[in-house]
Amino acid sequence: MKSNGLPVIARKELRDHFRSRKFLLIFGIFLIITTIGMISGAAEYNKELQQYNERQSVADDDEFGMGFGGWGKPSIMSIYLQVSLLIITLGAVLGIAMGFDLISKEKETKSLKILLSHPIYRDEVINGKALGGLLALAIALGITFIITFAILLLSGIVPEGDELLKILVFGGAAFLMILSYFALSLFMSTVANDSGKALVYTLVIFVALTSLPILVNGPVMSIVIGDPPEYPEQMFSSDSVHRGMSVVSSSVSSDGKVEYKEPEPDPVWEEYNRQIKEYLNKRQSISDTITLISPTMNLQPLSYKLLIPDYSRMMSMVFSPVGGDDFEVQETDVFKDIFKNIIALFAFPAAFLGLAYVRFMRMDIR
Amino acid sequence: MITFDHLSKEYNGVYAVNDLNFEIPGGEIFGLLGPNGAGKSTAILMLTGLIEPTAGRCLIDGVEVAKNPIEVKHRIGYMPEDVGFYTNLSASENLDFFARLYGLDTSTRKSRIDELLSMMNLDGVEKLVGGYSKGMRQRLGIAKALLNDPAVIILDEPTANLDPQGVADYRRIIKKMAADGKTVLVSSHILSEVSLVCTSIGVLSQGKLVAEGTWKELTRVLQGEQVKILVETRGSMPEFNHPDLISAEYSNENHEAVITARSDIRDDIADTLREQNVMIRQLTLDRSTLEQAILLYYNTGDK
Repeated sequence: MKSNGLPVIARKELRDHFRSRKFLLIFGIFLIITTIGMISGAAEYNKELQQYNERQSVADDDEFGMGFGGWGKPSIMSIYLQVSLLIITLGAVLGIAMGFDLISKEKETKSLKILLSHPIYRDEVINGKALGGLLALAIALGITFIITFAILLLSGIVPEGDELLKILVFGGAAFLMILSYFALSLFMSTVANDSGKALVYTLVIFVALTSLPILVNGPVMSIVIGDPPEYPEQMFSSDSVHRGMSVVSSSVSSDGKVEYKEPEPDPVWEEYNRQIKEYLNKRQSISDTITLISPTMNLQPLSYKLLIPDYSRMMSMVFSPVGGDDFEVQETDVFKDIFKNIIALFAFPAAFLGLAYVRFMRMDIR
Repeated sequence: MITFDHLSKEYNGVYAVNDLNFEIPGGEIFGLLGPNGAGKSTAILMLTGLIEPTAGRCLIDGVEVAKNPIEVKHRIGYMPEDVGFYTNLSASENLDFFARLYGLDTSTRKSRIDELLSMMNLDGVEKLVGGYSKGMRQRLGIAKALLNDPAVIILDEPTANLDPQGVADYRRIIKKMAADGKTVLVSSHILSEVSLVCTSIGVLSQGKLVAEGTWKELTRVLQGEQVKILVETRGSMPEFNHPDLISAEYSNENHEAVITARSDIRDDIADTLREQNVMIRQLTLDRSTLEQAILLYYNTGDK
């Protein structure tokens, strides 16, 4: 015999979320602060754009092309960057608030027993709750992004195709991060006997997931890759000037002119440079891997990479050995760069929802 | 019809329900009696498909619960002891949600909900269920149990929080359901309530069914014990003579009497009163006698 439990429960949950004072309050604050952030960000952007245009009329100085915090053309992304931290913080709170009492409250009010005595399969209850929450989150974030676009358009700012794509990817990633915390709190709701405990458990894990990457980063790096290579000694000879990876010798001719000889490769420097590059690459790789264990920490670098133009390029310049002649700032594919983070952001909700499902299916209903 | 077919449930080596094997035919109001921890709720949870049996099976109208839980749940209406509702919804919203789970269409849902709320005196109550008294929730629980017009109604402690009007309404409804051919299973520890409503009784003790039958059959255990019978008539009643009669105390100008006998002689008393054309207002076993009988069965389970 057929059961229509899933759509009925999902629909009820969706309606419950939008009727819940808790949800409406947090979502309202989320929306108001985002709106204010977007309005001030758009005004700031227009001001910077005007200054940029004024500079352009004097001289074409856009060759550096950083576009963020530099002299280049300002980016629309900077507006979203301003609100990204808020979305990460309040979004996590919203996700937790939505999920922590979904099952535990049913246990407290004894409605779970009565619900399961109806012609529905047990998995439809947990799936319906997850689906209802997911839809509520999607609608809430959808409304938020529609409002942010409306503010942009009303401020006379029209994003280009590439910018729009990045904003949408950021929106999708933010949704996955919030969904991760919703799924975590839903899981805790199946574990704890009452909503208070479920909230405490969720907050403990939230704090652990947020702070753990920062706390373990240093020790893990020391253990795995050790100390950075030592700076080579006796690098400078009396008549040579160190210029990165090569040594330029100079001599003064009889007529008083300084003559530079062809640079001679310095094997010590070359070795040091190779080692430091390798060290920095390992360091970055470990840091990136550790970051993957936290939804919040995943979204942060992802938002920087998406919303700060040439972020990866800037970071590769910062973390590269200084001053090499052969140093090339490589163009990076942002989407390739954030692929790991996106996968991790899909993995979190999937894992927590899976755990919530298993726990709920094994739960003793007495 | 409800069938318990050698049904058992074990938790960590302890049997909460042990080899229940009996049938409750259609049109019967069956009372399941037993002390706390006797296994009444566990048996009901297996019957409603909320937990699975360790051994044996239970059937509703011939359909096995564990194998066809959805089909069975369409046939039953269940009200648990601690009836829980969604406190953020009104009574009609709660019933509408549950009615959707039964797949009822919009017009059926509306008419059924209106009818049930009116039947339980909850029509016109607009506030959320969170603001309901325990009694109101209990009445809503009974309404919910009848939502899908079930063939089998299972009620766990249905009158625990009801006011006298609520109890009267409940008795009326339950009797009507049984008259319509539905099977009603009432689990309760309120002996007087079970004695007034139920046509047959099962006594559970330590997970086992230690007695089953009508009240008359059950009180046979009191053979040799003193049985108290309360009699109330419209006219003056005659003096009774019966070999098992120990004493009779008449009062209120012989309109009332407390008979003490060695067995349940109610049938003989009724025959005597009918012969004398005296109208009977009450002819029941005294509560202490029922308790005495039930306690004897409970003790049987202890041994």
